[in-house]
Amino acid sequence: MAAMRARQKIRAPRRGLAASKPDDFDSIWATLAASLREIHTKNASTLSFEELYRQAYRIVLISRGEELYENVKQLEKKWLCSEVQKQVTAAISPSLLLEQEPADAQDQSNERRAAGERFLNALKSAWEDHQLCMGMFTDVLMYMDRVVSSDHRNPSIYVVSMALFRDNVLRSPVRPDSTTTIADVLESTVLFMIQLERAGHQIERPFIRHCIYMLEGLYETVTEEDSSKLYLTTFEPAFLKASQAFYQAEGRRLVEMADAATFCRHASNRLKEEEERCRYTLCSYTEPKIKEVLDEELIRKNIAEVINLEGSGAKEMLDHDRLDVLRNVYELNARVDKKKTALTNAVQKRVYEMGREINAASFAVSQNTAPKPGEKEVAAAGGEKKAGRDKEKEKPVNQQTIAAIQWVDAVLGLKKKFDNIWEKSLLSDQGMQTSITTSFSDFINMNSRSSEYLSLFFDENLKKGIKGKTDSEVDALLDNGITLLRYIKDKDLFETYYKKHLSRRLLMKRSVSMDAERQMISKMKMEVGNQFTQRIEHMFKDMTISEDLATSYKEHIAQSGDPDQKRAELEIHVLTSTMWPMEIMASSSTKEGMVQLPCIFPREVESLKHSFEQFYLSKHNGRKLSWQPSMGTADLRATFTRANGKVARHELNVSTYAMIILLLFNEVPTGESLTYEEIQARTRIPDHDLIRNLQSLAVASKTRVLKKEPMSKDVKPTDRFFYNADFTSMFTKVRIGVVSGGGNKVENSDQRRETEKKMDEERGGTIEAAIVRIMKQRKRLVHAQLMTEVLTQLSSRFVPDVNMVKKRIESLIDREYLERVAEEPPTYGYIA
Amino acid sequence: MSSPEYVTLVSGDGFEFIIPRSTACVSGTIRRMLDQSSNFSEAITGRCVLENIRQVIKTIGVVLEKVCEYFCYNEKNKEQANVPDMDISPELCLELLMAADYLDT
Repeated sequence: MAAMRARQKIRAPRRGLAASKPDDFDSIWATLAASLREIHTKNASTLSFEELYRQAYRIVLISRGEELYENVKQLEKKWLCSEVQKQVTAAISPSLLLEQEPADAQDQSNERRAAGERFLNALKSAWEDHQLCMGMFTDVLMYMDRVVSSDHRNPSIYVVSMALFRDNVLRSPVRPDSTTTIADVLESTVLFMIQLERAGHQIERPFIRHCIYMLEGLYETVTEEDSSKLYLTTFEPAFLKASQAFYQAEGRRLVEMADAATFCRHASNRLKEEEERCRYTLCSYTEPKIKEVLDEELIRKNIAEVINLEGSGAKEMLDHDRLDVLRNVYELNARVDKKKTALTNAVQKRVYEMGREINAASFAVSQNTAPKPGEKEVAAAGGEKKAGRDKEKEKPVNQQTIAAIQWVDAVLGLKKKFDNIWEKSLLSDQGMQTSITTSFSDFINMNSRSSEYLSLFFDENLKKGIKGKTDSEVDALLDNGITLLRYIKDKDLFETYYKKHLSRRLLMKRSVSMDAERQMISKMKMEVGNQFTQRIEHMFKDMTISEDLATSYKEHIAQSGDPDQKRAELEIHVLTSTMWPMEIMASSSTKEGMVQLPCIFPREVESLKHSFEQFYLSKHNGRKLSWQPSMGTADLRATFTRANGKVARHELNVSTYAMIILLLFNEVPTGESLTYEEIQARTRIPDHDLIRNLQSLAVASKTRVLKKEPMSKDVKPTDRFFYNADFTSMFTKVRIGVVSGGGNKVENSDQRRETEKKMDEERGGTIEAAIVRIMKQRKRLVHAQLMTEVLTQLSSRFVPDVNMVKKRIESLIDREYLERVAEEPPTYGYIA
Repeated sequence: MSSPEYVTLVSGDGFEFIIPRSTACVSGTIRRMLDQSSNFSEAITGRCVLENIRQVIKTIGVVLEKVCEYFCYNEKNKEQANVPDMDISPELCLELLMAADYLDT
């Protein structure tokens, strides 16, 4: 009820509106129009917003909104055409219209610049006024907008007025008779300004910025999509085109005139400049686009040329560690090419070249110092086979060892250099690393002796190099070596050499630190895998077991109650023959294909040997011990009776063979001699070992325990040897090394061939094993696939020769492990 | 010229309401009216005289009072959910609707 009553009190609101007189519109419009003009002339403060608003409101209420809308449009158009356009065109001075060629404008640039600034300023203020007024119009006519725009889907009055500005100001001709529009002038002026700025002049950025704002605020269509901004449709393309031409020319000029560093610095600066220009002068939309232009015109087209520039390109930068420039190049290259092909190639090439230089240098070192026979007495001993050649060999062999170490050092140096470059200049780029690694691997493997050299490097360091170094230094050193190992493809070859060198170190106790040795092995294990180090570890195990064995043997002797005081002490290494390098185990005897009888030990030693054999076999039944005197050493106490009756005592540390020889002289009366042949017959020491030992005993001046007749450097079968009672030495303990037998050196070519042959045999076995393993699993396999699998399986150890693999497959077929099951494509089957 | 904190709204029949500027600017029309950059006379004086429109809008005191009440109410509850309804008497309903339309509130 209450509601009913309440409703009755509500009066119908718009009663009487229809009755408003038609001339109301005209009169209201007249006042409104006058007021709007006031707004144009910036006299708004005299006007009451409320009044204007109310008038517009009333017009809309009497349903004449449409007309109002049209009238306002007309009013605005008239204003723009008559006033604004004139103002702007007045600011265009002839110099702005003259040249369309901005390049030749240097001479009149100042004049043109001033004119341009004036014009831009005028346009800017016209635009700002327009914006402000239109804002006010919109405010005042809000009610109209709300009704007219939403009901009839007309663009709002603001949008319309913006379009009017576009059409009636920007697109109006500068002069009635010309086709150049104000927008054209604007464009060329702005481009001119930018041109000036690029040439290094200061320009009024804010003017440009405001005009760009204007272009950004105007649209091609009334729907005002972002993409139809005038800036994007007209100015930006022109700007990009001008920039393209500019940078094309600049790129050409720079490549011709400047060096690579300058080019790169310049390019980076340009990039920064354009970025800044987009941010402060133009529009941030353009930034990626202009950068693309730069990338394309300045960088992509020239970078390869720049990198390869003679005398200042990447090569130069790498050589002189110009890290910052290089980094610059890298960044530029990375901009245009994800893979950085140009730079990668350059770096790769340089690494390869430098690597080759190192290879060549080491080759030169090993070759250049051609043997000079008879240069030094001391150097006379040595060599491997024939005494005659030995003299000449000894020196180059040492030289080569030095070359090997130098080579490794040089490679490490190079590696360090490039690591540094990679980290600092190439931003630790993955792809770069890969290609650098490839190059390293390439040139390292090009040196066929790299495995041997590297192993020698380790040998040298583990023997001497790490003395007095801290743990971390040792660690770094080994790590370096390991890095190189990573590059070496034929890891099995390395293993062979390493084992050989290691065995010498272990048996002759030349290793400085067992810890370092173990560390080395664990590193290799991590790097190359378990299989690789298995044998090496076993060698260590043998050493440990031998120690225990020696101890328990000593106890055994003590218990057995044979207190023979004269008994020599025995320290023994029992080595598993399959684990230790072959050439040590099967001494030289097998070489000539004839059976070498075991050498005859002196009585004392023989009994000792016998006793140990018994002891060992009682513990390990069914094993065979073979003695390797070539690797052993012995401590002797020797008494020299001088002519004057005095007695000198020396402790001699000699090789086992030398010990045997010296003990022979115990039984020779003073003054008597033994011929070479006699010695050999009584000891059965292999020829070349005997020669070497006699040389060190009788020829080397400091350790001349024996005298030789005739006194010459060579040892001939007819030579006679005497006990040298006049032997003197400053030291009580004298170490008599076997000449060139003990140290680890670069192999001579014969040994090399030997090693390679052995290597090939071993590889053959490994390949066969791999083939059988794969076939057993697959049963049937196409030839090509089998090849790939074999290659992948073996790649961690070495790079197999394809022909070798083929031969092995043939051989397996012959031996009926495999069969051919199809010809096209060739397919093999596994025979269980 | 800094904007004074308070503005005066004057009704068609002469009632004056002094309310905070921010509160008055709840109305789109008044906000534009007071816009400094347009610089209309209202913006300078801070005084908005809302005239009656013949037979259409009567910004008589009661209505404007309610409008101002709404301004405050709106300001107060701007950022809250579950706001209690404002109490509006049926008699004023239509007048207020018209005023709201006019003032773009």
